[in-house]
Amino acid sequence: MYKTEVRGALILGDKNYNQVTSDIIAPIDRKTPGWWKFAFTISLIASTFGIVAIYVTVVYGIGTWAVNNSVAWGWEIINFVWWIGIGHAGTAFSIFLLILRQKWRTSINRAAEAMTVIAVGCAALFPAIHMGRVWLAFYIFPYPNTRGSLWVNFNSPLFWDFIAISAYLLISASFWYFGMVPDFASIRDRATSKVKKVVYGFFAFGWTGSSKEWLRYESLSYILGGIAAVLVVSVHSIVSTDFASSVIPGWHSTLFPPYFVVGAIFSGFAMVMTLMIIIRKLYKFQDYITDSHLNAISKILIFISLIMGTAYATEIFLAWYGGSEYEMFTFFRNRLTGDYTFQFWTMITCNALIPQLLWSKKIRKNLTVVFIISIIINIGMWFERFNIIVTSLSKDYLPSSWTTYSPTWVEIGIYVGTLGFFSVGVLLFFRYIPMIAISEVKSVLHLGKGHPTH
Amino acid sequence: MRKTNIIGIFDNENTLLEAIHKMKARGIAISDIYMPYPVHEAIEAMGKKSKFTFIAFLFGVFGAVSVLSFLYYTSVIDWPINYGGKPTNAFPSFIVITIVLTIFTVTILSLFAFSARSGIYPGKKYTMPDLRSTDDKFVMVFDKNNISIDAVAFNSLLKESGASEILENEEK
Repeated sequence: MYKTEVRGALILGDKNYNQVTSDIIAPIDRKTPGWWKFAFTISLIASTFGIVAIYVTVVYGIGTWAVNNSVAWGWEIINFVWWIGIGHAGTAFSIFLLILRQKWRTSINRAAEAMTVIAVGCAALFPAIHMGRVWLAFYIFPYPNTRGSLWVNFNSPLFWDFIAISAYLLISASFWYFGMVPDFASIRDRATSKVKKVVYGFFAFGWTGSSKEWLRYESLSYILGGIAAVLVVSVHSIVSTDFASSVIPGWHSTLFPPYFVVGAIFSGFAMVMTLMIIIRKLYKFQDYITDSHLNAISKILIFISLIMGTAYATEIFLAWYGGSEYEMFTFFRNRLTGDYTFQFWTMITCNALIPQLLWSKKIRKNLTVVFIISIIINIGMWFERFNIIVTSLSKDYLPSSWTTYSPTWVEIGIYVGTLGFFSVGVLLFFRYIPMIAISEVKSVLHLGKGHPTH
Repeated sequence: MRKTNIIGIFDNENTLLEAIHKMKARGIAISDIYMPYPVHEAIEAMGKKSKFTFIAFLFGVFGAVSVLSFLYYTSVIDWPINYGGKPTNAFPSFIVITIVLTIFTVTILSLFAFSARSGIYPGKKYTMPDLRSTDDKFVMVFDKNNISIDAVAFNSLLKESGASEILENEEK
């Protein structure tokens, strides 16, 4: 069992159980703050832009995008992979740390899971509209149909992807929801207004907290945690096979599955860091999301950043060592140098170099810098996907089909729209759902107390 | 006859555990314990065991077998397609779908099993001995008819074990 002496107290201050409940529920009971309304308006504007862009895409078709015969995957697949990557934080955080019995996850897992569900929802939008005729999207379901029955191609990674993402969305959403049931019951039993009692009472599913309920609840969370841990590795591995099973230079590599999985956890943890710093600052949750928590995430980020750097170096080395002139061309003429040098070097700087600053304890303690680094990492991860998708497609084996690619306003609009949807979701989460798992925090409240921090 | 409950309210985990030991030593049956978070020793002391992991394993076997048979039926029996002379039963490339859908089946069935077994579902009618047990109190419930010693002695025993309040109510 993990000993907390090294890390010190998980929850600061001399709190009792009642205070924990009140502190965490306080943002729901308070009046809507001004900054929230402001941020919500901005997010709604961004979402509206996205909805207009999606409308244009659906009505006029994907001819409104800049994708072409050579670069058939543009911003949409970049953004799809980017959002899925961010959506790995929830499972990585709550499930890996749950089965490793890392108690420090308790203050963070709820927000990480919420973010996962919203990010995966944003991601799922892209392949759907990329089909062109979104109203025929149901063709991807293997159902007995009047066309034969002609079944879908079960050997295609694109179909695996569909299965993986729908399963991931449903599983992470239910894991998140069942984690909240006891907390909804806490809100229900404290509520003074009738509306709140009825609404939260409905979502609490009649939870009473009896020993039998807790017994089964705990078994359930270990079962779901144990099997969903596989999903952390499988979802992005499957996304990477969309690329790796093709014969395009720069994609056709066995490095792809681990490289994608690590990249996904990297962007997910960076996004968790961004959100945690925001929550901590705006809701004054310093006692729950302590310096020690953020320090731990920073250290994980350095570690993953080193793996990312190694992966980039390995790709370049193998392009040379493999002796394929097409691979050589893609990496040395179209990434390190050439039309897309900016994107390549931004990726290296943001993902492999800048996070190394976190080695310094002084920087890890300065939350403004950490916040900026966490955002830089997500920018870098976006460029990584740009780099993989656009450079490889724009110049492949046949020089006559070479082309360059830059997006149209519609493509930018859909991306801005998903950013809007994401922040709308996150803001609603801030406002109406306990951001920290109340019952889980109570169970670790006294851990590490009475032991001096080293 | 109406059931009367005696309810002991405890402020923290330690007094609750102490009380459980005392009650067990005297052979007094505890009907239920309500807690704001799971206290493992208290759950164990209630003597219930969950067979959930085994059931989940069965769900997994069911999921894996049905997904693989579905893939075999569609690709080999119902509509075989020749992809460059490769075998129609492309087992290695079925593995990915099988793993993911097995996880999916286990999750969904476990959630329903949990919901059915524990009675946690939308619109559930429930009774709680004391509402504070989802906030900061640990609540121990006894059936008055099951207590062999007299009420006054029992109450003082509860107080002695660290109960901060003792209530009595009638179950409807």
